[in-house]
Amino acid sequence: MKIGINTEIAFTYLVSRRKQTIVAALGVTFGISMFIFMNALITGTNEYSEDTMLNTTPHIRLYHDNELSNGRMLNRFAGNKTINLISNPQLVPGDNRIVNPDAVTSLLKQRNDVTALSQQVSANVIYSNSSVQENGNIFGVNILEQNKMFDIASTIMAGSLKSLSENANAIIIGAGLAQRLNLSKGDYIKVTASNGASKSLQVVGIFKTTIKSIDNTKTYCNIPIVQQLLQKDRAYITDIYINVKDYYNAPAIGKSIEQLTGYTAEAWQSSNEQSLAGKKIRDIIANSVVITILIVAGFGIYNILNMVIYEKIKEIAILKATGFQGAHVVGIFIRQAMLIGFIGAMAGLAFGWLISWTVSKMYIGLGNVTYLPIAFHVKHYIQGGLFGMATAFFAGYIPAVKASKVDPVQIIRG
Amino acid sequence: MAIALEANNINKYFMTPEKFHALKGISFKINQGEFVSITGKSGCGKSTMLYILSTMDTDYEGSLQLNNQTITGQKQNHLAAFRNEHIGFIFQFHYLLPDFSCLKNVMIPALRLGRLSREEIEHNAYEKLKLLDVGGQALKAASRISGGQQQRVAIARALINEPSIIMGDEPTGNLDSRNTAVVFDMFRKLASGYNKTIIAVTHDNDFAHKSDRIIEMMDGKIIAQ
Ligand SMILES: Nc1ncnc2c1ncn2[C@@H]1O[C@H](COP(=O)(O)OP(=O)(O)OP(=O)(O)O)[C@@H](O)[C@H]1O
Ligand SMILES: [Mg+2]
Repeated sequence: MKIGINTEIAFTYLVSRRKQTIVAALGVTFGISMFIFMNALITGTNEYSEDTMLNTTPHIRLYHDNELSNGRMLNRFAGNKTINLISNPQLVPGDNRIVNPDAVTSLLKQRNDVTALSQQVSANVIYSNSSVQENGNIFGVNILEQNKMFDIASTIMAGSLKSLSENANAIIIGAGLAQRLNLSKGDYIKVTASNGASKSLQVVGIFKTTIKSIDNTKTYCNIPIVQQLLQKDRAYITDIYINVKDYYNAPAIGKSIEQLTGYTAEAWQSSNEQSLAGKKIRDIIANSVVITILIVAGFGIYNILNMVIYEKIKEIAILKATGFQGAHVVGIFIRQAMLIGFIGAMAGLAFGWLISWTVSKMYIGLGNVTYLPIAFHVKHYIQGGLFGMATAFFAGYIPAVKASKVDPVQIIRG
Repeated sequence: MAIALEANNINKYFMTPEKFHALKGISFKINQGEFVSITGKSGCGKSTMLYILSTMDTDYEGSLQLNNQTITGQKQNHLAAFRNEHIGFIFQFHYLLPDFSCLKNVMIPALRLGRLSREEIEHNAYEKLKLLDVGGQALKAASRISGGQQQRVAIARALINEPSIIMGDEPTGNLDSRNTAVVFDMFRKLASGYNKTIIAVTHDNDFAHKSDRIIEMMDGKIIAQ
């Protein structure tokens, strides 16, 4: 019952000044709809760029890095009688191979945070058709495994992934390369490695990622082809690509994989720091815009309440004279602010959704961006509602406390 | 007989526009169930005193006890709760809440007290309004009735929580003789029948002489009681 009467009074005051209420609520509506839209756009963009990154980068890349020379061999040779120091140690260019990759792979498969694994070996090559030549990288992979990671199948324009796994001397090339070398499915392409070894491979598929640098240079073939081009044995694997469940946690998982295997693990975040910096900047811009708008909306509520209190000061005095305590008066005006905030926030959520939806239908058509990437997350709507209410609360608190300090006799005396 | 009100050497000063000694050493007692009129010339300090007696004004010297509780020096929140439960106050310029209906105006102090259910409060409020012959105005906005009607609604509001002390600053100032008689009879019945204490400031000699006791003031002092 106690809650009832404060709410009732707050509600009556709201309804009796409908216009001001609507104006104040509109402030919140504007703030919250901007909050929703900015978040939808920024998150959409972030997700889009993350998708782009993860379409070419595995969550974790495991490889054999060059090592700094150490005293191990020296100690073995000279024994422990002397203290052996290497001054000015150098990086030792090694073989870069992962020793016994199948053992490493099966070790990794036992971890339950790992969702997909793919071994690979790559080489810098020159592609040629008749006398035209192009530079690029050829990736020897198990195409079906790799497809689980990067969804290559969805980018295939001609041919199929399966024909690569069925045909030992097959190659899948990018659309850009196909155009430059005038190749179509079924044609042969000559691939030459830097050591002079070369192979003639049949094009069984053409993919198009719309990322130019990839479409122009990247090709997929079976692992033995690259091993032969590099004149290495059948166990020569340079990279193991690893996808994990919680890819935001990739750096930490990478660390533990490093300890487990002894090889270097590079998380996607560290190979895409540039893009992640962009994400951070976008977040900061969006947050500052939203906070600014919410502050403005807060001032709107603050103003309206101050006005109401100024007008109702006599009535506040009467309420206090008939037994309302300070806290009750605060309660009345806080409720009024919260009601404004609630109405405004609800309208803001609806309006924000409408803006986001409209913009998501806008055609951009630049490169691989067809429509603006817009994310619709329930989380944003819950946050938006809470922010609206919180703004209303803080904006209402100061005037409400002021109202509660009204001295009834002073007002009633006039 | 139990004492409802005891004022001891109350002094009140106004500081603006210049220092003014409005109440000068006021002391008196009122018994429970007594119906007291306060009279005196305009400007002699009647309203000023009533605001102190009603616990709203706490800025005075001296001491005040109501229903054997010391009022002087209590916290504002405590005093508000005390007023809500024990004091019905009728303002000189009735002061209703214009955004609410007459009925709501009467109900609000009872809803605040929260002792009865909403239905019971509404029923009681209707009864009070009917007794004062404004039952027909119950659902009108408080700003849309006549001055005399407003005053009677304000009286109903003062009575809604069945307070033990009822204070009125010229409660019948705006009423015709018939309604003045209604209000007087009501006060009479509350005092004699229900042992309520009535303290009413009045310029109406007739009204004053029919009450149990007259306290007469002049220039901030009590000259007869
Ligand atoms: N807020 C104030 N500031 C300064 N002086 C005041 C204030 N209120 C009242 N006074 C003075 O105190 C004195 C008593 O005022 P009060 O209102 O109590 O008179 P009253 O007896 O109720 O008169 P009335 O019968 O006209 O209502 C007056 O002389 C008045 O000028
Ligand atoms: Mg007066």
